[in-house]
Amino acid sequence: MSLALGHYLALSAILFAIGLAGALTRRNAILVLIGIEIMFNAAILNLVAFWHFKWHAILTAQMFAIFAVTIAAAESAVGLALVIAIYRHYRSVDVDEMKALRG
Amino acid sequence: MWECPSGHDRVTCRARKGAPTVAETMTYAFLILSVITLLGALLAVLLRNLVHCVLSLILFFLGVAGHYFLLRADFLAAVQILIYIGAVAVLILFAIMLTRNVTGTEGPREVFGMKWWSGGVIAAALAAGVLRAVINDPVSQAGSSAQANSSVAEIGKALVGHWVVPFEAMAVLLTAALIGAVVIALEEVMRRR
Repeated sequence: MSLALGHYLALSAILFAIGLAGALTRRNAILVLIGIEIMFNAAILNLVAFWHFKWHAILTAQMFAIFAVTIAAAESAVGLALVIAIYRHYRSVDVDEMKALRG
Repeated sequence: MWECPSGHDRVTCRARKGAPTVAETMTYAFLILSVITLLGALLAVLLRNLVHCVLSLILFFLGVAGHYFLLRADFLAAVQILIYIGAVAVLILFAIMLTRNVTGTEGPREVFGMKWWSGGVIAAALAAGVLRAVINDPVSQAGSSAQANSSVAEIGKALVGHWVVPFEAMAVLLTAALIGAVVIALEEVMRRR
């Protein structure tokens, strides 16, 4: 068996599903963020796999991956600041208890 | 078949005849790294103790960095270790310490509750759908190529050449995120004064 693009696509799909399950099922806001990070990484792994197996002549996929990593870092910084602000307000980071905007 | 490169003596070569080919080695490396990555992701999602979750997340990030090395994206692998393990994981650890007591365990929860089942079913359905598409699509058959290679110098030139506008936009975004994070986290303190 030699390595093919499909192996990486399958791995990324499973990782994305794990991250999604974590983001949907955990109640702690920090663990929801961890799930989102796992999904981000699965998507970026997909980009790099496509670069390696199909379009290695051009750097576009790697550039997209670098920008995606930058945005993920900014997102996690703002997300964790929000978690800390919410904790100061509610004394809890349980996403089930944040009902202020419920219609 | 292994061919004797010049400069190697015959004994080394004969010992290497039974060695795996490059493709086989890549497959083994892929399998080992995949096990590490999947284990890290699963534990990060399933463990009870928040600090343990972050440690598993670091294992997951390391596995992904290894995958980048295997795919010959060296710069991205270095970026992955520096940014994700060096910055994001440490940031999450600090957030845990600021929001919980240092042990950081989650409160009691109903295992296999309604939320657990619905989230698991949605994620499993998504995985099944994407995996089915991956297996059926001919693009999955694309094999690995030895030419795939990227030097840091090339990436640097592209970043300040063809990609300079998104590069500058990233700089503005990072500054805005930095200021925004400080403002959001400080708001309550300012109000108290």
